[in-house]
Amino acid sequence: MSNWKAGVLLFGPLALLLIGVFLVPVLLLAPTSFHEYAPGVGIVANSWTLENYARIVTDDYYREVVWRTLYLGLGVTVSCLLLGYPVAYLIVRGPARLRLPLTLLVIFPLMLNLVVRSFGWIALLSNRGLVNNFLIQTGLIGAPLKLMFNLTGLMIGMTHIYLPFMVLMLVAALQNVPRDVEAAAATLGSSRSHVFTSVTLPLTAPGIISGSILVFVLTISALVTPRMLGGPTYKVMATLIYDEYMQLLDWPSGSALSFSLTVIAIAIIWASSRITKRWAGMA
Amino acid sequence: MSSLKLDHLSKHYGEAVIVRDLSLEIANGEFVSLLGPSGCGKTTVLRMVAGLIAPTGGKITIGEREITVLPPNKRRIGLVFQSYALFPHLTVFENVAFGLRRQGVKGSELEKRVKDALALVRLDAFGDRYPRQMSGGQQQRVAMARAIAPRPDVLLFDEPLSNLDAKLRDEMQIELKRLQRELGITTLFVTHDQAEALSLSDRVCVMAHGNIEQFAAPEDIYHRPATAFVASFIGKPNRLAGKVASRNGAGGTVEIGGGVTLNADRLDVATGGEVELFLRQEAIELRTTPTEGPVNSIPGTVQLRSFSGAHVQYVVRIGANTEIVVEAPSSGAASNLEKDASVYLAVAPANVFALAAAEGARS
Repeated sequence: MSNWKAGVLLFGPLALLLIGVFLVPVLLLAPTSFHEYAPGVGIVANSWTLENYARIVTDDYYREVVWRTLYLGLGVTVSCLLLGYPVAYLIVRGPARLRLPLTLLVIFPLMLNLVVRSFGWIALLSNRGLVNNFLIQTGLIGAPLKLMFNLTGLMIGMTHIYLPFMVLMLVAALQNVPRDVEAAAATLGSSRSHVFTSVTLPLTAPGIISGSILVFVLTISALVTPRMLGGPTYKVMATLIYDEYMQLLDWPSGSALSFSLTVIAIAIIWASSRITKRWAGMA
Repeated sequence: MSSLKLDHLSKHYGEAVIVRDLSLEIANGEFVSLLGPSGCGKTTVLRMVAGLIAPTGGKITIGEREITVLPPNKRRIGLVFQSYALFPHLTVFENVAFGLRRQGVKGSELEKRVKDALALVRLDAFGDRYPRQMSGGQQQRVAMARAIAPRPDVLLFDEPLSNLDAKLRDEMQIELKRLQRELGITTLFVTHDQAEALSLSDRVCVMAHGNIEQFAAPEDIYHRPATAFVASFIGKPNRLAGKVASRNGAGGTVEIGGGVTLNADRLDVATGGEVELFLRQEAIELRTTPTEGPVNSIPGTVQLRSFSGAHVQYVVRIGANTEIVVEAPSSGAASNLEKDASVYLAVAPANVFALAAAEGARS
């Protein structure tokens, strides 16, 4: 009983905060998402409709934004994984003197403001940015490449921003792989690459999955970077929700989109944690 | 099946010398232990044979194949780790099948050989389990089956029983001995446990500070230690300082102060030389009357008695305030001596080890 009390006391403050500033507003939004919206008038009282949700699935524009968001999430996750794994491997298994500098290098971007980092990418990627200027001056291309206000720009910028999370998760996972187990595989006839694919990779799977969940969820819910690198026209769900609320004042539609995004995120976390459990059960 | 030969093997880390110019030959099918305190270089030797550490110098040969620079996967060795090192994400069957699959064994042949290997360690019924569902002893048996299954040329054991509790360790020791005899695979076994090394091995190699101190049959190691280090490391010795009083053929007499002298069968130091004297607790007999003849008989007084089941330990004071620990069987005549009782220590000259004093031998 005292355990239970201690638990309540420990969890209480956080629970109150979450209920007050997260759960209640979310629940207040729920009815809003089922109201009709009349341009110029606002929310039509006592009107109930599923249209806000139906539109996300049926309307071509909304559908494109949803797919784009998921595609972006997937792309950023995969590139973070592909870029992050070698870095994490080097941090854990490389020379000891590289460990601290590399870790700092990975963490350092996290100390800079998100807006600053996104502006940095604008300076690099815009039509007259550093990258295009360099390529044009060296004569490699004639006209500037379109690196911003499209998927390329968002992928580059967001991969950079979320890479540290992936690397830190993978470092933790790699540190948990016992060296003796890898050595055992080697003495049993595994080449270095086979040791990696048959032992190291499966044993780091929990880290790969949790890192991927983290990056995916952060990416599909990100607002600032897509807004800055995607511009006013190239939208993802988060920027669309923002515009629905703040510019079109279409709160019902924005709420429906918000809920859809939340449901997607929760569904993905749930599915992945099921997979993780299966992996972790073995590891 | 092959012999294993280490030829002037050495390993340095910068200035630190871990293994110094070590040469060792293990015959086909022989079971050899590397025995020594931690930090003596025994595990480094084993890991160099396994290919997990690159030697600084020297040669390693299995049979006719030189393997010094081969990667571990090309050496055809089986390695059993102290930490078991099973694949946690694979079943017991798949763990044992791992090495066989690398050799291209498939289908019913694979099934049969995994079953055979598991039967050898009496885990036939456990193929579907995951390592985490098994006890430490079972896991170590799986690790042995996994190492044996691909029929390696040489088996290597890195303190495989150290993580098990004492009772299980004794059982596993017997099982391991039976297994190795049955298979006849050349085996190098690393341990810091002398009882383990002596009972399992055909020959024991005692190491200290990266050197071989003595490489001989267990009986020789125990009864005829070659160096002060071996004498101090094996058994439960009382250690005394002495001076050679006289020589007599291969043996002689040593004085340990307080007018006490001991006859030793073997003595390599000239008259007047300093020696270290080792008297095993279990090689001393306590008697209530002096003994005639060649056996050393030293008068003393019982200071302390401590009963530990099979044995009784006595602390006996002899000569000028020298204390000697004696271990007597608790079923024997000398099992119930009181404090301050007058006794005579009887030690055969063959059990008096008088060896040239060595630097840092007590490490």
